[in-house]
Amino acid sequence: MSENIYLPRMATIKSMRPETIDVTTFQIALNGTNGESRFDYESGQFAEVSVLGVGEAPISITSSPTPPETLEFSIRRVGQLTNALHELNVGDKIGIRGPFGNSFPLKELEGQNMLIIGGGIGLAPMRSVILNLFDNRKKYGKIDIIYGARSPQDLVFKSEYEEWQNVENTGLYLTVDRGDEEWKGNVGLVPNFLKEINPSPENTTGITCGPPIMIKFVVQALAELGFTSEHVITTMERKMKCGVGKCGRCNIGGKYVCLDGPVFTLKQLEEMPSD
Amino acid sequence: MVTKVKSKIIKKNRLTELLDKLAKEYDLIGPVQDNVISFKQVKSGSEITLDFVNSVLSPKNAFFPQTETLFRFSGDGEGFKAEPEPETDKERVIFGIRACDARSLHLMDMVFGGQLEDSYYMRKRAKTILIGLACFNPAETCFCPTFGIDPTSPEGVDIVFTDVDDRYWVQALTEKGASLLDQLAEFFDEPLGDEAKLKDAKAAGLTKMKKLDVAGLPDKMEPLYNDAYWESIGMKCLGCGICTYLCPTCHCFDLVDEGRDEGGERFRSWDSCMFPDFTLMASGENPRPDQKARVQQRFFHKLKYFPDRYGEVACTGCGRCLKYCPVNINITKIIGDVMSGKTKNE
Amino acid sequence: MTISSEELQAKIKKLFEEGTIDHFIGYEAGSDSLHTTPCFLKNGEQVSRLVWNPLCPYNLSKYLLDFREGEGRTGILVKGCDARSVVELLKQNQITRDEVFIVGIPCTGQVDPDKLLEVTGASPAEITGIKDEGDAFSVTVKGKTQKIDKQKLLRDKCMVCRYPTPPLYDTLLGEAVDSLPWVTDDYALVKEQESLSSEEKAAHWNNEFSQCIRCYACRNICPVCICKECIFDKKMPRWVTKSTALPENMVYHLIRAFHVAGRCVDCGECERACPMNIPLRSLNKKVEKDVLDLFDYTSGVDVDQPAPLTTYQTSDLEEFL
Repeated sequence: MSENIYLPRMATIKSMRPETIDVTTFQIALNGTNGESRFDYESGQFAEVSVLGVGEAPISITSSPTPPETLEFSIRRVGQLTNALHELNVGDKIGIRGPFGNSFPLKELEGQNMLIIGGGIGLAPMRSVILNLFDNRKKYGKIDIIYGARSPQDLVFKSEYEEWQNVENTGLYLTVDRGDEEWKGNVGLVPNFLKEINPSPENTTGITCGPPIMIKFVVQALAELGFTSEHVITTMERKMKCGVGKCGRCNIGGKYVCLDGPVFTLKQLEEMPSD
Repeated sequence: MVTKVKSKIIKKNRLTELLDKLAKEYDLIGPVQDNVISFKQVKSGSEITLDFVNSVLSPKNAFFPQTETLFRFSGDGEGFKAEPEPETDKERVIFGIRACDARSLHLMDMVFGGQLEDSYYMRKRAKTILIGLACFNPAETCFCPTFGIDPTSPEGVDIVFTDVDDRYWVQALTEKGASLLDQLAEFFDEPLGDEAKLKDAKAAGLTKMKKLDVAGLPDKMEPLYNDAYWESIGMKCLGCGICTYLCPTCHCFDLVDEGRDEGGERFRSWDSCMFPDFTLMASGENPRPDQKARVQQRFFHKLKYFPDRYGEVACTGCGRCLKYCPVNINITKIIGDVMSGKTKNE
Repeated sequence: MTISSEELQAKIKKLFEEGTIDHFIGYEAGSDSLHTTPCFLKNGEQVSRLVWNPLCPYNLSKYLLDFREGEGRTGILVKGCDARSVVELLKQNQITRDEVFIVGIPCTGQVDPDKLLEVTGASPAEITGIKDEGDAFSVTVKGKTQKIDKQKLLRDKCMVCRYPTPPLYDTLLGEAVDSLPWVTDDYALVKEQESLSSEEKAAHWNNEFSQCIRCYACRNICPVCICKECIFDKKMPRWVTKSTALPENMVYHLIRAFHVAGRCVDCGECERACPMNIPLRSLNKKVEKDVLDLFDYTSGVDVDQPAPLTTYQTSDLEEFL
């Protein structure tokens, strides 16, 4: 009898760290039958997270696959399920199915410079990449992280920025659409900020995630900066249910975001319809 | 395929008796007349009717029920634990499935099977014996020959019943079918020898069935993405679920939780890409915000995305979508327009 | 007698040429001899597609909702029943009077294709013509034309139609028809239901609703189901799921019947669209009769007459709205 692909495994919330008013990072431990606290995964993959009785939603994994015990999700409160998750407490049980989807080709990108561009909650899947790169720091060249949010209050993972900035040969560039009295950093939209920073495309791959409109302009900006479409990678989001390519919902053209994605190179996206 | 096809006959006046026996030994599912004809489980053979052209609902419900509990959960102090719905032990027989619907099961197998098997669907498939019925009286909306389907010879079934004269010619196409015939040997006689000829004579009357040219259809669809052609169809389309729910190959579903303090269940139910909230995300974004986009998705999925992924067009020519669409959207016209390049005149 | 397709085409072409309309919603030939289909014209060159015959059941007024706040004025071909729902859309402020140019067409009955096939014993391909001859339809089967008594072929809703002539129009194509001779008891359908006991009614409707597949065709085709976000699509809060369990189906049908109360014009499209042959008209007709009994009100006739369920009069039965 084959494994039941719809049955979630139970997991316990180990910690909840609020990032902003509506984003919290959850650390999860699977109640594994063999004592394992997580499944093996790669950066870019996602899991279907359930609150039994409320529903299920696809959430990208935000932790790096390197530390053996860690499984983290950074979740924004926006709909039925995410609202229910935010109402839970440490020690409560949730359901997890996964890992699903493909992953960023980080092995193939060894030796390259990495340019990570995130917007809003889009930094969550990017963080898995960033921490993964840091865990394998010597295998990559320069790492530049450009991140922006609507306002300083909406920036996520603030408690980790200092650590990131201290990693060797790594730059962190922050921007907000609207500043406030305390904000000393850049004010401006991410795509414009990117152009100002003017990173070189030489031996560099850009990875980006954020609101669809931001991705659109970032991709344009990267093209203007000389990045070829094989060297721009993004992760797409769609409403999902089964997560395994059967319920027919998440396709962009002939590709299921849950199966063939969510990670796509720009070259692949160019061949897909502009859904 | 069995090399030597086990071949028998059964007198028509014994059919009800046979079905009664099947209903006792198995869960018997067959075409039933209620408001309309659909495939339902019956307790006796007399509930089954074969006096119709095609059922409104295909038998896909028997493998992919419209509403199906996947698992239940209950609190046990430690938080909810999920228990999958147990498998029913009884074997089933579906009697009277036509060639178009038999083909659709083959197409659905590709979706629900594969590396990540949908056990709910697959276990039902494993536990079901399919008895097909040769069809000699297609509707004008039928166009199954388009997809290489011969309505008089259903494939992918375990047994075929062919109505000839005063009897049914009964042929087992698989081991499963052959052993069922052995089990029910009391009802069957040896063929008289003229069954094939009688069948061919009847089948000869079917030459006027619609057979569309679909060679290279997926490739012809490609340049029409976002074309204005879909606009006029989108304007007509009501966005209801009739085409998708009646279609034997449509497989989209929703996963829903019903919960209370003490527990609940997660079930799946049919869903339709025609509904406006199908791709609506919690953030409010909807990649298919209007009916033009949704109509386009449906036809592209059936005629391009599915064949690109699985190798076959996701249509069996049963004509139900065309027959029951409340505004007469016609898939045969659309296929014809795409194949002939006549998509510019709207 | 009713106008021909060619006469219709000429009239609509003129409307385009005069600049009276910028779009037109009408009927064109469909998938076979028994079906027409809605069509949307953008200019006078396209009028040759238009047809008018006894196989034009579609209530096109719902499509007006897709043209509002758009560019220009939309012409629409309406029978009596369709015009009544246009009146309702105007009453509910869903469209403005100057956005629409109502081309009314008197209709003395629409043919039910299922009845036609049964009565003639023919297949659709063998039926090559249907014409309205006043008291009968002349039907051409395999080359031979015969006259068939209308009452044998009419759609059920036409048997109780009190508005063969649109009650509101900008232009009328043809002679107004006062009444249809076969219309006697408007509510025979309902009285049958009312004569059943509660248990019998429950058994009847439980049986009908359990066959519903929740395709929502009835809701989507209904010209007075106009909510931008239907209560049945809402996720937060979620009133129904997509499950077809009987309680869910009942909630859907009964709430919809109440939501259209006082606005339903018995255009019959819900029942025509239903693939499971659920007798929706008898449900909505009962509510229609109740509205008539309680408020002495008929929907879809007078644009200026206040709608009973959204207007408060001191003589109302309840003390509050």
